[in-house]
This record gives sequence, structure tokens and C-alpha cells, in this order.
Amino acid sequence: MARLELDSVTKRFGEGDGSVLAVDDVSIDIADGEFLVLVGPSGCGKSTTLRMVAGLETITDGEIRLGDERINEQGPAERDIAMVFQSYALYPHMTVRENMRFGLEESTDLAGDEMDERVEETAAMLDITELLDRKPGALSGGQQQRVALGRAIVREPKAFLMDEPLSNLDAKLRSQMRTELQQLQDDLDTTTVYVTHDQTEAMTMGDRIAILDGGELQQVATPLEAYHRPSNRFVAGFIGEPSMNFIECDVDDETLVSDGFRYPLAATAASAVADSPTVTLGIRPEDIVVDGVSDGAAPAADHAFAATVDVVEPMGDENVVHLSVVDGPELIATVDGLRRIDAGSDVTVTIPEEAIHVFARNSGEALHSRSLDDAELDGARV
Amino acid sequence: MSTESTTPRDDTSSRFDRIDRSRVALYAVLLGMVAFYLAPLESGFMTAFKTTDGFRATTPFAPPPAGEFTLGAWQLAFDRLSTGLVNSAMMAIPATILSAFFGSIAAYGLTNLSWRGQIGVLALFVAGVFIPYQAVLVPLTQFWSFVDLGTRIPLAFVDDYQGLINLSITHTAYGIPICTVLFRAYYATIDEEMIEAARLDGASAATIYRRIILPLSVPIFAVTLIYQFTQVWNDLLFAIVLVSDPSNRVVTVALNQLQGSFVQQYNLQMAGAFIAALPTLIVYVLFGEQFAKGVAGET
Repeated sequence: MARLELDSVTKRFGEGDGSVLAVDDVSIDIADGEFLVLVGPSGCGKSTTLRMVAGLETITDGEIRLGDERINEQGPAERDIAMVFQSYALYPHMTVRENMRFGLEESTDLAGDEMDERVEETAAMLDITELLDRKPGALSGGQQQRVALGRAIVREPKAFLMDEPLSNLDAKLRSQMRTELQQLQDDLDTTTVYVTHDQTEAMTMGDRIAILDGGELQQVATPLEAYHRPSNRFVAGFIGEPSMNFIECDVDDETLVSDGFRYPLAATAASAVADSPTVTLGIRPEDIVVDGVSDGAAPAADHAFAATVDVVEPMGDENVVHLSVVDGPELIATVDGLRRIDAGSDVTVTIPEEAIHVFARNSGEALHSRSLDDAELDGARV
Repeated sequence: MSTESTTPRDDTSSRFDRIDRSRVALYAVLLGMVAFYLAPLESGFMTAFKTTDGFRATTPFAPPPAGEFTLGAWQLAFDRLSTGLVNSAMMAIPATILSAFFGSIAAYGLTNLSWRGQIGVLALFVAGVFIPYQAVLVPLTQFWSFVDLGTRIPLAFVDDYQGLINLSITHTAYGIPICTVLFRAYYATIDEEMIEAARLDGASAATIYRRIILPLSVPIFAVTLIYQFTQVWNDLLFAIVLVSDPSNRVVTVALNQLQGSFVQQYNLQMAGAFIAALPTLIVYVLFGEQFAKGVAGET
């Protein structure tokens, strides 16, 4: 167990003109026992970052410290780090027991019976004791996943690295393993870096999430902070499903204008956009209020707009409603699953001012985030 | 097959007729091909059991006529080839095992480890596959007369079998490139993450080879051993050029000498050919199952 620090870590593949910058100046400080999720679209550099921590890729620039010790120059074997791979990477010719013992045999001086004991203990913890004498080929995907975890856990390393470990499982098993992994990490209290492209995993599992795009770190925050206080437009769009609606607007006298769509701003938001002539308005689908069938006439309220329902996708717990605002943008809203809305009907949509986000158009940087005054919180605020 | 889709009529009996006819044609062609390919073997086999008069009196593929059946040719061929068989085995078995083993190590180093300049080294190995035997005959004889193992290593064994040792080492070296290429194709299919997992588990490159790669290589070892053993066992050119001592004569050379200078004793030559080919058949049988896996590319 140890603190893991990435200090201006950079990775460049190739040399000269043809080189590719895969990871650009990433700094993250991961506390001892913390569960950090590295998330981003494919090709964003998250796996490369993880592989640099593991020692499987060299570090072009910057420093990685584990337990306050620089590990840049250490080989993967010396780092005392265990990794769980997407393909599980089990040794097919060895039984589960031998798979789990392998790391102990190669990296520790434990006596044979001590190793057996550790393997048995770990197997019991993961509920795979009855699989110990089988070979990986005779196991299901979920069981192989557990063995891969067991192989990492049994070594009691300073840190766990997980590279999309759940992506080969079916949806049901995935959500079950997600919970189990969190529980396990809670019990073991080992520093963990978890790479995924799945924003649900990122939201639900991490103590904090680090969002990467194009090799650059976008934001490191708690999941709710990233959701409600995204530092830029990329984070706002990446976190959340269905993703946030964006409307490209010009600022005209404290009003956001996009074709026929006019959205007046009140004091705080207005002062935030005072210096930006062009902005992006962001609104989460669940914050859009869809009011019953209207007569198609323009509504009187400032933040209400007449719209037509294009498509309704019933999800059971909610309906995803695709809307076209008259003379304005297309929006996606979610409404209660039991509410009936028909495609083609005319409705009134309200975009509540306390729920809007505003981003600078050029830099994507957040200028204004939603207010959390109306949030009901059991514990501390995000 | 396509027969069904091309007959929209619901006339079942004619449909079956059609399938039957195409089947009959298929089997006829297959049988014809079997006969074509096996005829020489069958003729050779029959000839080996005939007396000299017997093979003169009958067509080659006919069985021995009454009174002309003999095992004498087999007996004589075996007597004249036995030293050659032992010599060939002493030369071919180490050469096969060593070239497969070195090929495996080289392929591991060139496929699963990464280091600067490995593409260039790999290119040398691939080029090695294509060097014709004839091109190296003169340099090879010069090399071995310069090395002259017998005087450098003053052991009775080395002195007695100098020709065979030279031949064995030559075949080992000559076999490494093709073995490397065979192993490389197989190792390229091994999950890279598994090797990375082993590195993180604390294993060194040598340990990974010994504990992970080698145990997974059984099928490709079967392929390589069969291929390489057949190559080395059947070679005549190197054997003629590199071995001068008659006591070190290998089986292919001995077989060649069964050819009489005045009278062609076909029965003796045929029996000898079967005896000389037998070890390669045994190797196929022994490693057949693993060979099939290796060819199918199973890991």
C-alpha cells in the first residue's frame, strides 16, 4: 500500500516528425488506498498511462513515484505492482492454483506452505476455492476474471492496476463484478488505478475519476463533482448518459441567441459570460422540464420554449425524448418512465436557469456551472 | 450442396438420384487419385517381396507370383543398411532436437522480447532459409577441414565419428533459420498480455521462456521436429560431401550404393528404400496428434 504520484508524465511514441504524443504532461496524486478511475474515449492515452505506471512502457518525461520513491527506472518486476488485464492473461497450461502461485514463486522468498496458505486464503475470499485445480480453459469468463483478480491480490502488492477488467463480461455479470470489486478494494484498502472507457464504471466505482482526452488530463474530481461541476465541455459531454445537450450560442446583451432561440441570463450567469461573445450552453437531459401537450403557441415564460417530440425511447425507468425546439436546437430530455409522451406531439420545454452550464466556445472551458442550492444531500456536498 | 437450391421442383426421388450421381462421380475421382498416388508405393512394396525372376516375369504392381515370394531382399537390404541406419540416427536426432531448440529460443527473442535492431536480425534468419545447399558446399568443406575436430578434440569418440559430428552440426546450423521462422509464426499468436503479466509477476525473460513459452510450445515442437527430422534424415548432398569415412556412412548414402553396377536388383533397392524411410514414418506416427494441433495453430 502506498501513495502513487504521477508528476508531469509524458509519453511520446517514435522520434522526430513522425512521433506521436500519447500522454501529455499528466499529473495525478493518488492517495494511499484510493480508488482512482482513469476514463476517456479510446486512444486518449489512459492505457498508456497505466502501462507506464506498470513499467511496460518507458516514460518519455516526468516522474512516477510509488510510496515517495521514484520508479521510472525500475523494471515491472521490481515495482511491486500487480495488474489485471482486459484479456485476463492467465497462463493456460497452469491450474488456477499454479497461476496464483506463479507471482509468489517469482517475486517472493516465501516457503512453499506459506504460498499455499496465501493462495487458499485469497481463493476463499474470491469464492474460487473449488476451481483451484482446474485450468483456465475450463472456466467461464466470469471465473477467469476472478482468477485474474486473485492472481493480483495474492501478491499483496503496493498498488493494483486494472486495464478494462470488466469489458469482456456480459452486462449483468459486469454490474455484479463492479459492486464486488468496489467491496474488495474497500476491504483490501490497496491503492488502485482502474482504466475504463465506460463512464458508468467511472461514475460508480472511483473515489475520484481522472478524465483524459487526447493525452491531456481534463479533470480529476470525485464522480459527482465531475458530473455537476465539469471543468470543460469535454468532461460535461463525456460523463453522463444520455450526454449533456449543447447549444452553440452568441451572447447578445445578457441573452444567449441561437437562430430563433433566445435564452435570457440572470445575474450570476450573465456576469460569467460577460467577456465571451460566443459560448456553448449545456443542459443535462434530466434537468429539462417537458410540460404536457401545448397548442403550439410560443409560451410566455422566459425559459420555456415550444417544441415537437421527434422520437421517444422508453427505457422502463425513464423515457428518453428527442425534441426539436421550434426555430431552435434539437434537445434530448429524460422524463419519468410512467409518463406517456407520443412522438409528433407539441410540448413546452423549460430549461431551468439554475441547471444550466455555460462553456467558452473556443477553449471549451466552463464559465458557469449549475447551482446546487436545490440539491438534497445526505452527507457533505460535492 | 448447391444441388438442392438449383432444383425447385418438389420431385424428391429425382433429387436423390442427382445427389447420388454426384456422389458417385466424386468418389470415382477420389479413388482414381488414390490409385494414382499410391501406385508407385504399391509397386515398390510388391517388388520388394519378389525374387529377381519374379519381378522380371510380372508387371511391377502385380503381387509376387507363386513360388517367387521371398523376404531375402528385405534381409539383405537390412544387413547392408543397418550401419547407415544407426549412423543416420546418431546424426539426425541431435541435429533435429538442437535446431528446433535453438530455433525456439531465437524465435522467442525475436518475437516476444523487444530490443533495438531485431528486425535486421530477423531478416538475416529469413535470408538463411533461402540459401541453397549447393552454394555452401565448397565453403563448408573448407570450413570443416580447417576446423578439423579430430585433432582439436583428442577423444576417441570424436575421432571415430568426425564425419557424423560435422554433418550433425552442419544440419543443426542449416536448420535453425527455418525452425526460427516456424516458431516465430506460432509465438506471434501468444497473448502479449500474458507475457506482460508474467513480467509483472516478477519473472525474468529466461524464466518466462522456461515456465510459460516452452510448455506452450509442444504443438509447434512437434511440427518442427517432424519437418526437420525428415529434412535431415533424407539429405544426401551434405552426406556425400562431408562424410568420407565409409564407417560414418549414413543411410541415404548406403541406399544409393544398393544400386548394383551390373545388374539392377530392383527388389533389393525397393526393400532398402522402405527400410530407409521407416524412421520418418515412425516420427510422424509419434508426433502426429501434436503435429495436427501445431499446423492448426492452436495455442
